[in-house]
Amino acid sequence: MACYRVTVLRGFEFRRKDTPVHRLDPRAKAVYVACATAVTLMFATPVPPLIVLLTSVALVAVARVLREWGSTMRGVAFLSAFVFAVNYLMAPEAKLNYAVSMTLRLVALTSVFSVFFLTTSPEDFALALLKLGVPYEYTLVFTMALRFVPTLARDLRTIIDAQRSRGLELERGGLLQRVKRFLPILIPLIVYEIKRSYMIAEALEARAFGAVETRTFFYELRMRSSDWAACALSLAALGVVVACYLTGTLPSWLLWEVPG
Amino acid sequence: MAAAVEVEDLYFYYTMGEYVLRGVTFTVELGESVAIMGSNGAGKTTLVKHLNGLLKPVRGVVRVLGMDTREHSVAELARHVGVVFQNPDHQLFAETVEEEVRFALENFGFPEDEIEERVEWALAEFGLERYRKASPFSLSEGEKKRLAIASVVVYEPDVLVLDEPTVGQDAIQRERIAEMLRGFMKRGRTVIVVSHDVEFVAELFDRVIVMSRGRVVADGSARSVLTDLAVLSEARLELPQVAECARRLGDLGVPRDLVRLEELEEHLLRVVGV
Repeated sequence: MACYRVTVLRGFEFRRKDTPVHRLDPRAKAVYVACATAVTLMFATPVPPLIVLLTSVALVAVARVLREWGSTMRGVAFLSAFVFAVNYLMAPEAKLNYAVSMTLRLVALTSVFSVFFLTTSPEDFALALLKLGVPYEYTLVFTMALRFVPTLARDLRTIIDAQRSRGLELERGGLLQRVKRFLPILIPLIVYEIKRSYMIAEALEARAFGAVETRTFFYELRMRSSDWAACALSLAALGVVVACYLTGTLPSWLLWEVPG
Repeated sequence: MAAAVEVEDLYFYYTMGEYVLRGVTFTVELGESVAIMGSNGAGKTTLVKHLNGLLKPVRGVVRVLGMDTREHSVAELARHVGVVFQNPDHQLFAETVEEEVRFALENFGFPEDEIEERVEWALAEFGLERYRKASPFSLSEGEKKRLAIASVVVYEPDVLVLDEPTVGQDAIQRERIAEMLRGFMKRGRTVIVVSHDVEFVAELFDRVIVMSRGRVVADGSARSVLTDLAVLSEARLELPQVAECARRLGDLGVPRDLVRLEELEEHLLRVVGV
């Protein structure tokens, strides 16, 4: 079950690849994510989120990250089932339509965001944040947090192994007992990671972190024509949908509801 | 009587197709002690995790005291095979040293009076009595390592496995760990140690298994394996100092396959005619 949590995280692990999606400027991808999110949230019917989902899958295929994407989606399978059940029970009417739409919303948004994170290196993302005026200290915190996800997962694995070797059984007993059994895992993990963070801070200071006020960068982000095209395409799609929505000229198949 | 550990044609990978272990085979008899050596990434720690069922073979069989690890839970196997991992920071968690030592005994359901007896014994054996009520996190690195070992040795597993017990230990700690292992061996327990430390292994172990890239490349007496230059270079190990010395004194009639100080001493005394 610890493996389960680690699998969800795997979807957000970045691997460098050379595909059109990887090459896009992170800001262009952010525009796509924003537009796709807006479209998904505008409707409470299943077709729009389904379209968003299919577009993101197409991007995933172009970026050749299907396997990683798959493990993220498997990771949210349980949450999706939960969202479906809760919405089905809570919806006042058209229960099935509402539950299906909300679940698709979750799935589509997860997929859209995982396209972003699977194809954007943390460094590029941080550079994009810098361009948007976020101070360097904060973007560094962000990149380091992402950088240490796999490290944390590995530490967790090792700690679980060490405690199981001393007879710790995680699967046995009632809820309270089970929670108590996590202490031998959580305590070493927290202590170890705090220790590690001090070590990182010292290593950073040893390399003169913060010695100069204004930083310069070796890599600079530049929007190329393909990036502008991607932005334009995303915004145009969003524009058309919003325009039709406001003027009431949306095609009826887009608003199709699940009967029942 | 079943062997302590039987590993038969063991294959294992973490990621499909990228084999970390490829056909590892060896047997360790009860009461025997073995050192497993090899370069980083040779698969030693992965192998160790098979010995108490934390990992299950992709192909091949691992049997511990006759029990197939695929058919028994880690908890059952851990009762017989005690594994001490490299970094004590990955396991120390209790409020006091005493509770840390009790942990495994409670998990395995030892009766209370026996728990107390064993905890006293282990604290004394590892020189940790005065830290009884102290937090494990307040100990020095050497003491933490000793505590980690004590917390496994305390339940006297039939097979004791230690992953890199001497890393980061000063000379006195190292000697203490060696002393503890000698005691364990003397009581007829099986000890398996994973180590890079040729000097430590040469002094303490009679049998050495060398791994390289997921395979066993040598398995034999410390004398023959630790003086085999081809094997040592394959596993990126150094010649033990005693063997180096014996090699240079070869012209004087000292055998080249010595790894223990007493043996070298004996031959030297013979050479100088004492």
